[in-house]
Parts: sequence; structure tokens; C-alpha cells
Amino acid sequence: MRNFWLLTKREWSERVWNRTFLWMLFIGPIICLLMLAFLFKAGDEGKKSINVLIVDPANLMDNRVMAQAEHEVHYYFIDDYVEIEEFRDGSRYQKFDAMVEINEKILINKKAFVFYRTNPSVDVKMQLKFQMERRIEELVVESFTNLSLEHFRRIKQPLIMDFRNVFDPKNESNDLESWVGFVFGALIFLFIGIYGMTILRSTAKEKSNRIVEVLLSAVKPRQLMMGKMTGIALAALFQILIWSLFIGLGLWIFRQTIFPDMLNPANWQGVQLAADVQSQVIATQEGLSSNPVLDLVYARIDYVWMSIHFVIFFIAAYYFYGAFFSMIGAMTGTESDGQQFVMPILLLLVFAILSGYMYIQYPDSTFAGWISYLPFTAPMVVMIQLAQGVPIESYYLIWIHLFIILLSAMLMLQIAGRLYKNGILQFGHRLRLTQIWRMFKS
Amino acid sequence: MLEINNLQKSFQRKIALDDISLSVGKGEIYGLLGPNGAGKTTLIRIINQIIEADSGTIRFNGQLMTQAHLAQIGYLPEERGLYKNMQVEEQLIFLAQLRGLTKKEAQRNVRHWLTKFGIEDWRSKRIESLSKGMAQKVQFIAALVHDPQLLVLDEPLSGFDPVNVELILTEMKELKANGKTIILSTHNMRSVDEICDRASLIHEAKKLAEDTVWNLREQHNQGEYLVRFKGNMIGFVNALWTDFELLGHEEIGENRFLAKLKMRGASQMNDLIHALVGKVELELIEKKLPSMQEVFIDIIRGKEEAHA
Repeated sequence: MRNFWLLTKREWSERVWNRTFLWMLFIGPIICLLMLAFLFKAGDEGKKSINVLIVDPANLMDNRVMAQAEHEVHYYFIDDYVEIEEFRDGSRYQKFDAMVEINEKILINKKAFVFYRTNPSVDVKMQLKFQMERRIEELVVESFTNLSLEHFRRIKQPLIMDFRNVFDPKNESNDLESWVGFVFGALIFLFIGIYGMTILRSTAKEKSNRIVEVLLSAVKPRQLMMGKMTGIALAALFQILIWSLFIGLGLWIFRQTIFPDMLNPANWQGVQLAADVQSQVIATQEGLSSNPVLDLVYARIDYVWMSIHFVIFFIAAYYFYGAFFSMIGAMTGTESDGQQFVMPILLLLVFAILSGYMYIQYPDSTFAGWISYLPFTAPMVVMIQLAQGVPIESYYLIWIHLFIILLSAMLMLQIAGRLYKNGILQFGHRLRLTQIWRMFKS
Repeated sequence: MLEINNLQKSFQRKIALDDISLSVGKGEIYGLLGPNGAGKTTLIRIINQIIEADSGTIRFNGQLMTQAHLAQIGYLPEERGLYKNMQVEEQLIFLAQLRGLTKKEAQRNVRHWLTKFGIEDWRSKRIESLSKGMAQKVQFIAALVHDPQLLVLDEPLSGFDPVNVELILTEMKELKANGKTIILSTHNMRSVDEICDRASLIHEAKKLAEDTVWNLREQHNQGEYLVRFKGNMIGFVNALWTDFELLGHEEIGENRFLAKLKMRGASQMNDLIHALVGKVELELIEKKLPSMQEVFIDIIRGKEEAHA
């Protein structure tokens, strides 16, 4: 055990006290933050001026929205039914960027669907919502109350407007929580890919500079393999920790300095809501802002919950995949050999990331069932499930997934240890599948 | 100190060691000789528990050898290897700790050896910045930094210049004087002649010979003598009887010759002296024992001829 920790410590030191690694501790988070800032900005962009078709078969709106319409949104009215497909594909509707469905119940349920072709900017969305809301208020007051409009506005509830893509009217694929899980899962596999290659290169290097023979005269091959893998895992976790801290700090600074207006409803452009309405908007909004990226980053991620599971599943998956990288590194005679044999493993990592996409798209398919139990892909699926929210009574399933990955990792480490032991002292050969089989048997 | 009994090792169909038995006594320098591919490195790796034997046993100080005994063994492999980006001192401390030393002990021993070899200035240098010979020295220190009882040295002299060869040979003698046991695998036969107490010869996975170096040379003695004298060569030849055969001679100075003779029958050195006294001025008579190089070649050729 003492030697295991000595090997782990040496490997950790070699990775961490390396100029490139130390630089990347700072440069990596800066790049991530720049990318996030870009996404925040991009999430706030869209068409600045749109033509909106109000489909109002009952003519409730009386062909008007509000007295002084803003020029960014141009309204057109039709007192007939228009199907989504008709709006989407019909040539007469192509000039409209969005369609607002007004049904008879709108005065009761205060809900309207807006089907858009391209997602409008936050400003435009807010204007549309505000102007529509004002008009509906007039109608509600007129139809159901004896109140004055001003009095009503003081006591009103905000209108919920559900923006939906015309190509995905049921809003099946726009589940932001799933994509949060996807990002966490993808990060697991990204780090496994990067640090798996480090295991392979480090093993191949110890072979090529022959230090391995000196080491093996003091420690067992399995100890050497595990020490190396653990040292590299600790370096990976250290990098993840430092990146998380820097990115967290960066996001906090963004919130305080660069993007405070985007996060504060009072500052949302183009809309001057009354103070009481603002508070209601904040209470009823699903997220913090109408910018989906800001929503994702600042409102929808339970960082503690996700981070704990991220670390647990990263460690389990790292040892599972790391066993493959280790054995390839130990068996190969030349570095080019290693690169060829590592291709299937890298493809598996890509497959795991793609499987996350497939799981989000088709969560009830047989394929989704399979990939949630395969150790190659389970970490991705689990992260998505956790982000979507796992009911407490089903939480044991997460531990079953973890148990499967850990069991598979232990099995792979057994096999890898055997191949490592038999391959590590063979030099300068061309690796063939028959040779791998012989190494496994002997 | 080390007893090896009936070791057998095969790699797939190739037999690497075939029923090898040998014993190395405490405080002995034991030469492990043999041509390339004979199985020496395999034997050394088995002693160091790097690979396992198919059958047979190794006893260390009377106990069946286990991983725990490795702390008492120092190993210098033929293929040298160090972490190139580590500093000399850091690397030696790491390797000493792997062999069971505490950090403090390791630091103390490393300083001692760096000073002893006169390379204390290198302690902060990275291995990649050292010349091959310098790195070899560091590797040699790595093998003995943990003060092992048994040193297994595979070609310890290769890569060293003559000055450093002398340094390493002297160090080995000193280690022996301090009671350390050394197993030396080498092709440098001069070192075997000079420092080994006993040796064994391995060829094609089998042990062909094992004895003290002196006995091995004696066993392959061809009955040859070297005679250095002053005088007349004709007088010298006339003095020899039929019991002596002149194999060759060379003039090494004015009226000074070095002659090579071979005894015939039961003649002894005393007979030779008796025959020459008064005929020439004798300066030296020496029984010419074969070098270990000649013993080595003799045994291998004998084996090959027996096969043919």
C-alpha cells in the first residue's frame, strides 16, 4: 500500500507540477468563461423586428393589440382557424415570423401559444408579451368586472405565454434540464478521453525509457498500474476542482458586473412593468431570465447535487475506461501501435456522448433502456436522469447504475492487470490480436 | 544467501531456463556468464520477482523468496531506465522509498552516495540533461542507495569510460569487503577475472559450468607456460628436451625473449626450470591459465562440437 501511494504521488506530481498543466489551470476556465459569455450574448440575440399573425377566430381582440404599438412587433389579424402545419408551410403565411393562437378560453386561462419560425430576441418576446397582456387585460376588465382598468392592473396576475417552436409544437426536445445533464455527462467522457490518453502515453513512456524494469523489481505490476491510474485520476480531479472554482467565481463576477441587466427583470429592455407586476413575473417565471443560456447556467443547475454525482460517476467510469488505456499502453511495442489500438476506445467515448443525445430524444425507447445499463454509456444517461430530476423513490436506480459501472471497472482492472503484467516487459514488437490473446492466456 | 533450485521458465514454446540450480554465498561476487539470449536476463528477472518461474524455488537467506525480500535486493538492469524529467536527487529518493526507506533515510543515503561518487553538484539536474555515462552512474547509485544485502547487476560496466569502469570495479570490491553479495552478469571478461569469486556459464537455457573462477580457469588449462629470459634463442631451444614443445617466441629486447611452451607427458614446472638453469638467464616463468574469455569460448565451442 505504501508503494502504491508513492507511485500515485509521483504520478500526481509529474502531471500537476508541469508548466502546461499549471497554465491550463488558468487558461482553461478563462476559455470556458469566454465561451459562456459568448453564449449568454448569443442567447439574447434574435430577430429585432417581427411580423406576428394573431389567429383570433372569435375576434376577441377586435383587431387591435394596444393603443400605441411598438414598432419592433407588427401585428396582423385573422379571424379564422390556422393549423400549425398550414402556418408553417403555407406560402401566404411565410411573411409572418410568429403566430399567436387566441382561443375563446384565453380570458379564463390567460394562456396563449406563440409559434415562431426563429426564436425572437428577449426584447421582442417581452414586448409581444407585454402588449398582448395589456390588450387581454382590457378585455377581461370589460367582460368580467366592474373595475376600472387601472384598478384591475393593480390586482392582476401576469399572463403566462409559452413560446414554442413551430417544428416542435409539443416542446419535446427543448428540455433544458436534459441538456444540463448532457453537458455534465459529456464532460465526464471528455476528461476520461484526455486523461485516458495520459495513462496510455505515460505507460508507453515508462516502457520505452525502460524505467519500468526498475520499478517492477520493487512493486507488483498491478500496483504500478493502479498507482499510475490513481495519480492521474487525482490530477484530473484537481483540475476539475480548480476549473470549477474559477468558473464559479467567473460566473459570479459576470452576474455582478457584466450581465446584471440581463438577470434583473427590472432591467429587461423595452418593457416598463409596474413594480408589483415585476415581482409577480419573477415569481411565475420558470427560470431567472428569458435568455435560455442564462436560465440554464444561473437557474436550472443544482450545482451541488450534480457535482457530487459528477465526481462519483467520473471516478467509476475513469477506472473502467482507464483499464483499457492502461492495457493498451502496456501491450504495445511502439507508440504508433498504441494510437491505432486506442481508436476503438475513443470511438466508444464518442458513442457514449452520442448515446446521451439519443437518450434525450427517445427516452422511452428500448435503446435508451439498454444504454442506461451498459457501463460504457451509463454515466451519460445517469447524469441526464439526475438533471431531469430523479424521484426519491427511484433514486436507488442511480446506485444500481453505479454498482454496474464499478463492477465492470473491477472486472476490467483484473483483465487489464493480467495483460499489463504480461505485456509491460515486451519491447519493440508489432502488436497483433493473436499476441493479445497469448498475453491474456499466459 | 541465495539458493536457486531447478528453475524452469518457458515463453510459449521457447524454453528460457531449463532446470537451473545455483547458489550464491554471502559476501561473494558471483559471475553469471553466457552468450546473448542464453537466459541470464530471464534468470535475473525471476530473482527480482519481475516475472514468475514456471517451477522451481528461490531461497533468500534460507527463506522462500517473497516480495518482502525485494527491499534487500538492489537491481541494475541491462536496459537502463530513469524518469527523464525528474531531478537526480528526487529520483533517487523516490526509488529508495520504493525499496522501503523512509524519506529521511533516503535523503541521507542519496547525499552519501552522490558525495562518494563526486556528483553532488548534479542533484538538482534533470536526468535528460545528463550524458549517458552520467545517467549510468545515477542508475548505479539507484541500485545500491537502499543499502541492499544482495546486488544484482546486469552489465554494470557497459556505457562507462575506462576511468569509470575502474571506479565501478573498485566500488564492487568495496561492497564485497563490506559483506555485500553481488551477482554480476557481464560480457566484460576482464571484470570476471578480476573480481568474481565464482561464476556459472549459461548457454541455451542450461547451466553448463559452475565453479570458482580459479578452478574454471584451471580446468581449462592447456599446460602452457610463458618464459622470459635473456640469452641466446638457439641455446634456449637446445636446452629444451622432448618434454617441452616450443609454441612460439618473440624478441622483446636485445637478447631478451618471451617464449610460449607447452608441457608434454607428466613434465612439471620444476623440470622446466631444471632444464633451463645455466643455459639462459631466466627472468620469469609463468603457468599460463586461460582467461575467462578463453574458458567461455572453450566451453561454448565444446558444447557446439558435441552437438555437431
